[in-house]
Amino acid sequence: MKDESDHDLELTSPLVPLFVITNGRSLPPDHAYERTTLVSAHEGASARARTLSPEARQVLDLVSDGFLSVAEVAAHTHLPLGVVRILLAELEENGLVLTRKPVPRAERVDRELLNAVLDGLKARFGA
Amino acid sequence: MNQDALVWCLAAAVVLAVAAALVLNHRNRAITAKKNRIEAELTQKLGEAEGQLANLRAELQQHKARQAEAIREAEEAAEESTKAVLKGSARFLQSLAAEQLTLLEEIQRKYGGHAVLADLLEVNHANAQMARKAQGIAVMCGAPLGRRTKAASVYDVVRSAQSQIRNFRRVEIMQQTGFALKASAVSPVALAVAELLDNAASFSQQGSPIEVTFQRVQNNLCIVIDDAGVGMSDEDRQKATALLSGERLPRLSQLGTQPKFGFPVIGLLARQYGFRVDVTGVSRYGGVRAVVLLPEELWTEEEITPSETTPLGTVRSASARSESVARTAHGLPRRGARQVPIASVPDPEETSEPPATTSEEAGRAGRSLGAFRRGTLSGRNLASAPFEGSDDS
Repeated sequence: MKDESDHDLELTSPLVPLFVITNGRSLPPDHAYERTTLVSAHEGASARARTLSPEARQVLDLVSDGFLSVAEVAAHTHLPLGVVRILLAELEENGLVLTRKPVPRAERVDRELLNAVLDGLKARFGA
Repeated sequence: MNQDALVWCLAAAVVLAVAAALVLNHRNRAITAKKNRIEAELTQKLGEAEGQLANLRAELQQHKARQAEAIREAEEAAEESTKAVLKGSARFLQSLAAEQLTLLEEIQRKYGGHAVLADLLEVNHANAQMARKAQGIAVMCGAPLGRRTKAASVYDVVRSAQSQIRNFRRVEIMQQTGFALKASAVSPVALAVAELLDNAASFSQQGSPIEVTFQRVQNNLCIVIDDAGVGMSDEDRQKATALLSGERLPRLSQLGTQPKFGFPVIGLLARQYGFRVDVTGVSRYGGVRAVVLLPEELWTEEEITPSETTPLGTVRSASARSESVARTAHGLPRRGARQVPIASVPDPEETSEPPATTSEEAGRAGRSLGAFRRGTLSGRNLASAPFEGSDDS
């Protein structure tokens, strides 16, 4: 049946698309699982989780030794951040991981104010 | 005298009667002879006519046969030309859909942290279904299937099939196996399983599960698909079995306006690639149990690690860069200072401890986290601020 026009088509897309890895779940809200949110597995979670997809299992294993940030989990798994966030939401729903909100940034002190203080100190102590 | 006359009269009457009888007899014979002759003539004519009729019938038969053949030839020619036209378009669609899937994957990775990812995932799903249809039409027209160059675990092949149907969330793969399909079998089995899953999904109630399990039976690896549908009648079963064997291929023109080419496609693939598909079983829910029987030529027992199945260039370069990094049990780079949970308010004594760096990459990750930690600290603990200030920029 083959004729000359039949050149082979090579499929280069990944065999398992991302939406199957997330099982069609939607993205968690923006404030949940930010890049710097820290995630850790619950005690004994690895043994309790039986029916996880290989990717969710990989995420769980990564965070089983201690806290790791969401961004780092994404880097280690080579999965897009959003996909990792969905997997984490699934894991947390099943009570397998706990998250810790990122520590709020220290407020930036106004540089001018600092300069004014410095000037004041210089003037006072003559440094 | 009177008596004489009477005798004569009688005699004359007898003579007359005899004569009349003779004449009549003679006439009768003549008539019979004539009748026989005519009859014979008629029989002969009838025979001739019948002969002619038989000839005509034979001729008619010949004409009919010739006509039937001509019609069949014309139909075949039409089928072939339809196939040729359709094949060209199907191949075009097929490669375009494949290209789009690759593009979409790249876009999804590019915008992985963006909210648009949710929509991209849906587009990807729609596109995967289109790719399946295009592949199905291509196979029906005798075009080759797009091929994969890497072996893959049978679990991932089923997930690939899952991605190609509408209600993919109903599919539950009950186990993960160490069996892997050889590269040449990956696309045909994925397409065949996708068609079976689609069939299972369309002939069972919305929301009911479709369970996939794997079983090794002697030298065959079986992919078992159970649905909770209504099952099939004996007639349907026979039809399906005939189609799935790949021996009888329906014409494209017989497929109707809502063509169902799932089973014919499976049959063709099964015959081409040497696996078997059976749908005569009954599932544990009373629906259909479909079994894909893969002979040992198509699979191996090797375990395919997930990193091998990830085909992107970024993965290769990343893993090449971090050769010297400590590895996790899964071959992934391990970050140095991760064993200890990071306290949100760290101990001031610990701040001077440099993050354990074993390589450039881990060092960078450590430094950035260290900087983050120091920044936090500087915000909370004024005593340590002067030491850390210059580091933060």
